[in-house]
Amino acid sequence: MKTFLSGASCAVLATAAVTTIVAVTGIAQAGEFDGITIEAKLIGGQQYEALYARIPEWEAATGAKVDIISKKNHFELDKEFKSDIAARTTDWCVGSNHSSFASQYASLYTDLNGFIGKDVVDEFVQANIKAATFDGKLVMLPRAQFDVSALYYQKDLYEDAARAKAFEAKYGYPLAVPETWAQVKDQAIFFADPPNFYGTQYAGKDEAIVGRYYEMVVAEGGQLFNDDFSPAFNSDAGKRALQWFVDLYDAGAVPAGTTNYLWDDLGNGFASGTIALNLDWPGWAGFFNDPTASKVAGNVGVAPAPKGSAGIRTGWSGFHGFSVTEDCAHKEAAASLVEFLTNENSQKLESSAGPLPSRTAVWDYISEQAKDDPYRAEVLAAFKETAATAFAVPPTSLWIEATNLIYPELQAAILGDKTVDEALADAAEAVDDLMQEEGVY
Amino acid sequence: MKRLKLPPWLVLLLPAILILSAVVLIPLVLSLYSSFTSYRLTRPDSIFNWVGLFNYEKAVTDAKFWAAFGRTVLLLTVALNLEMLLGLGLALMVSKVTHGQRLLRTMMMFPMMFSPILVGFQFKFIFNDNVGLVNNALQSLGITDRAIPWLVDADLAMFSIIFAEVWTATSVFGILILAGLYAIPRDPLEAAKVDGCTSWQSFRYVTLPFLMPFIYIAMAIRSLDVARAYDIVQVMTNGGPARRTELLWTLIGRTGYVDARMGYANAMGYISIFLAIFFTVYFFKKLTKSRKELGMGA
Repeated sequence: MKTFLSGASCAVLATAAVTTIVAVTGIAQAGEFDGITIEAKLIGGQQYEALYARIPEWEAATGAKVDIISKKNHFELDKEFKSDIAARTTDWCVGSNHSSFASQYASLYTDLNGFIGKDVVDEFVQANIKAATFDGKLVMLPRAQFDVSALYYQKDLYEDAARAKAFEAKYGYPLAVPETWAQVKDQAIFFADPPNFYGTQYAGKDEAIVGRYYEMVVAEGGQLFNDDFSPAFNSDAGKRALQWFVDLYDAGAVPAGTTNYLWDDLGNGFASGTIALNLDWPGWAGFFNDPTASKVAGNVGVAPAPKGSAGIRTGWSGFHGFSVTEDCAHKEAAASLVEFLTNENSQKLESSAGPLPSRTAVWDYISEQAKDDPYRAEVLAAFKETAATAFAVPPTSLWIEATNLIYPELQAAILGDKTVDEALADAAEAVDDLMQEEGVY
Repeated sequence: MKRLKLPPWLVLLLPAILILSAVVLIPLVLSLYSSFTSYRLTRPDSIFNWVGLFNYEKAVTDAKFWAAFGRTVLLLTVALNLEMLLGLGLALMVSKVTHGQRLLRTMMMFPMMFSPILVGFQFKFIFNDNVGLVNNALQSLGITDRAIPWLVDADLAMFSIIFAEVWTATSVFGILILAGLYAIPRDPLEAAKVDGCTSWQSFRYVTLPFLMPFIYIAMAIRSLDVARAYDIVQVMTNGGPARRTELLWTLIGRTGYVDARMGYANAMGYISIFLAIFFTVYFFKKLTKSRKELGMGA
């Protein structure tokens, strides 16, 4: 009897284990990758750790081991990947990737189409898959870290009748949450009371300001590059877009140091309660409404990104993903890990903390989950609306290098060292030289 | 078969030669070679694409490169002179202290113990226009009611960087000059006192000439440091905004590692090395001259 019970218990446990394995990996078979070690270079940071905590489940299910040999932010990983390519030390297997950087790593990563089934790829938001595909190669599978910016604002600014009356008297239209960037400018100037309170703020350096400028050019009806990647921003739309940044700076509606600000400065600035309107990423939603971290908690509204004069919404977007190197000795195992880290359960886990998913089914799931949380529902609605018309960075391997030529010129115009015309002419000339030197055209 | 027999001196030197070749010579030759190619980190094969003097021509005809070069010379000149004056003052004061001198000497060295990256973050916060200590203090004291953009304004941004550099490295001068003060023989000072020299005359004509070799050694060491200034500037302003604080090595670092154009970055690096060589030769000449005046050198 004892033997029977023991045998039955084993059978039940074995069945449960197999069920768990199938549930965890989806396609991987138990022990399929026994003895294999997958070396990975992943983006580091508290917000990404919850997903990595799932890795032991994949290890238990497949028999493989994951050795995370590097954990850094994307800018540092970018430098490391470039050094690896130069030193030809690219035999590690899985790397964190980002849509803004991916085009530079043409030789580094393999085409996942051969390793991930089409039915799986079809389950992702197809705009993301398109942005992860270069020359027909699917170089990464997106994780639940889709980024597009919506407009956060302090709600009580719109609840004061005297303020609303004063605004309408000055600008000739009622004070309401802005739907266009022209309204954002009016309201930012109206709300500003430096050095204690500012109407808005913007990322002021590196790729960040070029991304913001890029989406504003699109919203104004222009484009950053022509189809052959020659610069197209020295246009009326490009000038209108840059003038928006310049006008806000000249009016003192943004902090004087905004040209030195990056994402953390902006997020902490809005949370400090000194900024009225803030175009920012979804990852900040929880932080802004957390009373222990933010002075504006309970007073945060979120609206879709405003539109430019062409009636187009700004929507510079990007997303994180995972890629498999061309030199990986165990590509099937690496692809299985990537698929696991981006599967439905993984995306549900990551999205539960705020980030936006890149799988269609998970979008539906988190919308359903947020039904009883008005703030979360408002956040999701705003980002979903903005994501519908979002666009990725131009698909050129010279994107980052081009941004390094453009951003000092944008800053020069904002700070008054150059006129808008001079700055854009100089930036366009520099980018044109770069593209020609690199044989793009 | 006759075995090759190396002379003993060469055998003894061989390990040192091999190690130096591996860690100094090979990287130098490789980087010099790559400066004549279109080498990009992301395209390893491009290291074989010989472009002759193209990278050098591009650098010497690039106004942005020379602007960064000029700013680096400015930083070097201002920072070194300020550090020397402040270090001299510190050393003179500490040398007069009779109690707790050892503690003061240790305290003087505190700034040198911080990593430059940490110093950069510290001053980035101190000079932040919105939440920075300086602006908050100035506003609280009623000195200004506006947010002074320390890290943005064309003059103030460079001032802030120089301030951070001076804060972190004045003690290098302080310690070396203090060592010089301890080494000064007492006889000439006492003779000057007997001859009726004022304190200023004793300092100007006796103490300072004795200190000059120490000052020039500190100058030579720090000129190499400042000519390679990168960490503090990278953290505080990243060379911006609008290239207002762009120095040689922030420009070269971005070109090499962010833009991945290592060939071009190396060409700029080799041109920049002349700056360091110039200042080193200049200060060593000064050092030799001051030692001769003291009858210390040949």
